[in-house]
Amino acid sequence: MMFDLKLLLIELGVALILARLFGYALEKVKQPAVIGEILAGIVVGPFVIGSISGYNFISPSIREGIESISYIGIIILLFLSGIDTGIDELKKASKSGIITSLFDVSVAFLFGYIVGTILQYPFIYRIAIGNIFSATSVGITVRTLMDINALHTNVGNLILTVAVLDDILGIIILSVTLGTGSPEILLIKVTIFFIIFLALLFIFYKMRKLNFRAQIPRFVLTSAIAFCFIFSFLAMSLGLAAITGSFFAGLLLSVFPQRRRISTFVREIGEVFFIPLFFVWVGSSFDFSALKGVGYLILYFIPMALLGKIVGCSLGAKINGFKNRDALAVGIGMMPRMEVALVVVTTEISMKIFPTKLAHQMLASTILLVIISSLITPFALKSVYKPSQ
Amino acid sequence: MDIEIKDLHEKKISDILDRGIKWNLPLLEKNASVQSVLSILTARDHIWVVEEKKSKKVVGVITEYDILRLLAPARLPKYVFGKKYGVSIEYGTAKKAEDVMCKQVIKCSPDEKIGDVLSRMVNAGLRRLPVIENDEIVGEITAHYIIQILLGKR
Repeated sequence: MMFDLKLLLIELGVALILARLFGYALEKVKQPAVIGEILAGIVVGPFVIGSISGYNFISPSIREGIESISYIGIIILLFLSGIDTGIDELKKASKSGIITSLFDVSVAFLFGYIVGTILQYPFIYRIAIGNIFSATSVGITVRTLMDINALHTNVGNLILTVAVLDDILGIIILSVTLGTGSPEILLIKVTIFFIIFLALLFIFYKMRKLNFRAQIPRFVLTSAIAFCFIFSFLAMSLGLAAITGSFFAGLLLSVFPQRRRISTFVREIGEVFFIPLFFVWVGSSFDFSALKGVGYLILYFIPMALLGKIVGCSLGAKINGFKNRDALAVGIGMMPRMEVALVVVTTEISMKIFPTKLAHQMLASTILLVIISSLITPFALKSVYKPSQ
Repeated sequence: MDIEIKDLHEKKISDILDRGIKWNLPLLEKNASVQSVLSILTARDHIWVVEEKKSKKVVGVITEYDILRLLAPARLPKYVFGKKYGVSIEYGTAKKAEDVMCKQVIKCSPDEKIGDVLSRMVNAGLRRLPVIENDEIVGEITAHYIIQILLGKR
């Protein structure tokens, strides 16, 4: 089919402005902008604008273009996550944070695996669900903690540390469990990837000491983006997900003094163009007809996703000497899922792990999980936790 | 103009560096409280954060702009990653100089050419760089200072 540039341009234009407006509207009612962007996607998708005009954001003639932009959006999003997380911050993470995070991710993953087992899915689906369950969104967590003025408390501090560590643990689990090829070969490939990562980290630390200066204008920013793409390519060549590559590329570049400039620049292009289009694309792929057969999946999927975090984090916090109520607050504070969960599910879908119908259902369930978790977390946290001051 | 700008570009930082300024640099230890950060910023527009006062090893910088962000009502960007977005005066998470400083400092050394240092400042969008010799801050190069040199006022 002919690629329709004209249609693509108008769709991009409409989608961008709607995403911005919807995002802003949601922020006004204290919900994350991402949900607004997903709603904008539903509007420009096949069920609203599509059903009126016949042309929609994922019309066959522009689908490839939209998908490519969205994948770039995902890669940029994870790159940003890596560079904002930062190696130096990871090194400074408290012991209690690391322990809680290990509990959190493993229990959440296990709960996902259990959902798959209850529904009698094959092994690979169970792992895929586990991966979706592992991520947490710091954004909503921070916002909620601000709401109840608990950002500076022990609970707040632990939640923040764990939420940040979650991303990296989640990504590591994702690369180990979802790589292609037989387990032995995969293990070798993952090892190669991390050896390359550590070698580069070592070299970059040395370079930082050398105070290397590029004479080519804008070299830092261009090479940062290029490095992100090349590293994602490397990850893919080794059978890992592209997002693993871009996340670790971000972590690597975080050691340079130009970090803040790179992060600001990437955030600009990401926030304005690529990332909203990814969420719009997610929204437009939300298939209402998938909701019909989705009953059992959602019935287990959402409660287990929420419970997994509560159990895992509360256990971890409890072991670190938190009181029952505070430990529970940590667990509840970790419930929200957002960007990374959506990125993981779309990555899994793009890796063709699920058959088409189940893929639609998985995406729909994750979108609902995102919305429900960010709606209930503030209420739940406020009712459980009252900072003593 | 007292000095041709082209000649100035060829000179070295050490040629213009006022080493006396060393005793008047806005330095603060990384463990200092946010209150002391704010009180220095009532008079100065930036602070070099050092490991400890004795060693003078620069580990961060705090500018007016960093603080401006902390003074305004806390607002999160659309996509939040990393812990730094939780740092705020309003919510009591900005406690020490370390919490609010920019950790990656772009520096220069006394034996670099002024032209190179100026291009670095333009590229990085910075108007002041610390001059580092043997891991220790010995002075600073600011846009003001370069203008003063150019006009022969120093």
